[in-house]
Amino acid sequence: MITQVDNPILEIHDLIVSYDQSPVLWNVDLSLPSGKLIGILGPNGAGKSTLIKAIMGLVTPSSGYVKVFDKTLEEVRSQISYVPQRESVDWNFPASVLDVVMMGTYGKLGLFKRPGKKEKDIALSCLDQVGMMSFVNRQISELSGGQQQRVFIARALAQEADLYLMDEPFAGVDMSTETAIFHLLKEMTAKGKTVIVVHHDIHSAMNYFDWIIMLNMHLVASGPNDQVMSEEMLRKTYGGKLNLLTKVTDLIKQKDFNPLKS
Amino acid sequence: MMTFDQNAFLIIFTASLIAISCGLLGVFMMLRKMSMTGDAISHAVLPGIVIGFFISGSQRGLEVIIGAGILGIFATLVIDWLRQKARVQLDASIGITFTLLFAIGIILINLLAYKVDLDQECVLYGEIAYLPIDLWISDSGFNFGPRITYLAILNLALVGTFISLLFKELTLTSFDENFSSVMGIPSKGINLALMSMVSYTTVSSFEAVGAILVVALLVVPPSTAFLWTKKLMPLIRLTCGLGIFIAISGYYLAYLVDSSIAGMMVAVSGILFLASVLIQGKKPKFTWELPWNKRRLALEDKQL
Amino acid sequence: MEDFLYFFTFQDSSIVFVVIGITLLGLGSAYVGTYSFLDKKALLGDAISHAVLPGICLGFILAGEKNPIYIVSGAFASGALATFLTSWIRSNTKLSEDAIIASILSIFFGFGVVLLTVIQKSGNPEMAGLNQFIFGNAIAILEEDLIIYGGLAVLIIISLTLFQKEFSLLVFNPDFGKAIGYPMGLIRLLFNVLMILAVVIGIQAIGVVLMAALLITPGAAARFWTDRLGKLLIIAGLFSVISGIMGTYISFILPQMPTGPWVVVCLSFLALFSFLFAPKKGVLSRTISRRRYLHKTHRDHLLKAVHHGLEQGKKYLTIEEIYESFPYQKSKTRQSIDSLIKTGLITRNQNFIIPTEQGKSEAKRIVRLHRLWELYLNEYMNIAPDHVHDTAEKLEHILTPEMEALLEKRLNFPKLDPHQENIPRDYDDL
Repeated sequence: MITQVDNPILEIHDLIVSYDQSPVLWNVDLSLPSGKLIGILGPNGAGKSTLIKAIMGLVTPSSGYVKVFDKTLEEVRSQISYVPQRESVDWNFPASVLDVVMMGTYGKLGLFKRPGKKEKDIALSCLDQVGMMSFVNRQISELSGGQQQRVFIARALAQEADLYLMDEPFAGVDMSTETAIFHLLKEMTAKGKTVIVVHHDIHSAMNYFDWIIMLNMHLVASGPNDQVMSEEMLRKTYGGKLNLLTKVTDLIKQKDFNPLKS
Repeated sequence: MMTFDQNAFLIIFTASLIAISCGLLGVFMMLRKMSMTGDAISHAVLPGIVIGFFISGSQRGLEVIIGAGILGIFATLVIDWLRQKARVQLDASIGITFTLLFAIGIILINLLAYKVDLDQECVLYGEIAYLPIDLWISDSGFNFGPRITYLAILNLALVGTFISLLFKELTLTSFDENFSSVMGIPSKGINLALMSMVSYTTVSSFEAVGAILVVALLVVPPSTAFLWTKKLMPLIRLTCGLGIFIAISGYYLAYLVDSSIAGMMVAVSGILFLASVLIQGKKPKFTWELPWNKRRLALEDKQL
Repeated sequence: MEDFLYFFTFQDSSIVFVVIGITLLGLGSAYVGTYSFLDKKALLGDAISHAVLPGICLGFILAGEKNPIYIVSGAFASGALATFLTSWIRSNTKLSEDAIIASILSIFFGFGVVLLTVIQKSGNPEMAGLNQFIFGNAIAILEEDLIIYGGLAVLIIISLTLFQKEFSLLVFNPDFGKAIGYPMGLIRLLFNVLMILAVVIGIQAIGVVLMAALLITPGAAARFWTDRLGKLLIIAGLFSVISGIMGTYISFILPQMPTGPWVVVCLSFLALFSFLFAPKKGVLSRTISRRRYLHKTHRDHLLKAVHHGLEQGKKYLTIEEIYESFPYQKSKTRQSIDSLIKTGLITRNQNFIIPTEQGKSEAKRIVRLHRLWELYLNEYMNIAPDHVHDTAEKLEHILTPEMEALLEKRLNFPKLDPHQENIPRDYDDL
């Protein structure tokens, strides 16, 4: 059940990603429509974060390529925004909420230039959108998990991009924050932005997303929510890994090098 | 006995400059969790110093700084090579690289003992006490004053410029390297530039405080200051303040017990660090199980 | 040469002592170091080795001479304090492990240097002996030192051997150990004690600054030769002993030369040799097997070209046709042809390349694997037929007969691949 679209905002062509010698993503081949809220679902170790990282160029694929707006990543960096997993940074870092959100503007600012009034205004309006105005000068080490998540989303908003990739933005977040974030994402897609979210909860996914991608080391499904969300697809996604795929992965691990790299 | 004369001023002034340069770089090294890499670099530049010394025939030559700079970057690259190509884990790569390069440096010092006026002691403790008599005299015989002070001023100026120019990039790459590379900021290049500044600072300061004690100034004041603040600018200011305080008290304490000034500076910073830990640390609770391992595992999981 | 013979024939009993000593402490440090390397705590060893300096100086001040008992106890005490502080600060402040280790290391070393200069200025004639602790001087180990250092080394080796099971658990899976009722806290404490002891005895030979190498490098180097813990410890010990004796020998012929740096250079040389040339894991071996693999894939592709010829009804291909199918790879192609002829898969008649029966069967096998995998990608992973070729092109070289059987069964012995091409079997005649 893989639906391909014309004029996709994101096209992934036959992507294989390995860490050292073990392939973690096999043959992902999909295209995504613009202006949608898209969820990536799958069990632990299914390669969800890896897929996002490969799209963002943070891991080098063994083969295949990614095109955004029909261009390579380097050409459109400023149009893509990224929310990493909350645990990927040390929140003891000495920075205020405003400092972190302003980081989102650094990409457009360029080397050596200092952020000024304009950048500060962008950051403040983004903080307003995520409902964190009262925390502007708070140190990030003093935030709760949900607040940290909102700061990260505000930082991504400050990038003023067209495509947003978010790695588990709902992880460790309370129900009210989750709803608030979800509404924000809905508003963004209504304005024509595309938002891709790695998500772990099937039930809320059914309500949240327009389009769903299901992963389990390989691409199980990609298509509109109502077409993809079926018991069969969920069983394929969560019902254990493909036996042959794990066997081949083991075979490759035993080699002294990665034969998938060209 | 405790006097404040021109010599005392020069030594304290120079030591403060060095402590501030080290502290500024040290703040970012600490925030990147690369303090041990800084330690490794300060050991690893030794062969560069010796070879530069040998080629130029004096420790004043530009060759010494170039040699050390090359070795500093070389060490960073070797650590990376071991990690990526030979697949050695990071801590071991650091350990292997710096011990080998430092060992080669010591061997070179011994082999070239008659040609190079460098000894192991100088490498270890530095000679800041002799600073006022080590003068920079031009060819025409004009006396500019102590040479090492000029080096320290130049060093601080360069470190200061470097950090204020790249402040935004250094902060971002220290906090979230992935995010910065996603935005197209050359995080690898910035990292290498920071390592080069650390190597240069090590060389520029080693005559005064010894190559190994440079590490203490690089690492201890930022860690101490970080225990007292959650904000970046106060962290930097406090680190600089600590550097000056350490220079003053280190000088007078060394004077008092007739000991190495550089060693005493480290001792003072150590006392400040331990005191801060005791004041700011949570109440101790004694268990057999050292919580170390679990914490570390949790951290590694996060990084995956 | 004379020196060499004199040293290695062990005519001099003091040399015998020194060699025994360096062997024991090399083994002890390598054993402990290998565990801490596996535990990913190599740099803690570095911190401990710098941290024993103030203890050594205090021991010296208290004893007024280079008394091994005072020095060992002092060193142990300050090493233990450093270890305790490191883990206490880790769990009670927000500082990262890295900053703590670096801070503790430099603070203790700084205190050591202060004490050292104090002793130096006190004019104690025994001072010269103390300097050896910084860069090591194995040749200066006296008989009475040896009893203590050697004794401790034997103690370390015996404890590590006795508790091998417990320490492996500590390194590999402490939570599991705790769950099955082992006192993991106590085991960690014991291990830390052994690590500090190993550092304390090692510094006589290597010196505080470079002691980390003796803990880290042997284990890291040995890791390239084996995956088994027992062998790992033996190889690490061997590397460490060889380097120790080499360093001692150099200190013997060049008396002003400290031992430590030479031991480290020798160890690092062994390590570099292992990284580059160890079978299987070494860089060279990985490069060679990769290159071999690439040659094999090229031969496979050549056979496939021959098979495609057969499918089109050509009993043979001309050599030019083959060169044309692999543009810009003429010399590689020529090599592949030669090697295929040698293995009897094809024969060459003037300009014509003709597959043998065996060659036909091998070519069928590769094409079969290629097409089976394409079908598998298409059916089980929902990949469009025009996107399956590239991956199959890679996997056809690595699928084993066992995998082939599985694929056949899973796909129910299919006749056609997603491009409607025949999946060739051995009984098919072309």
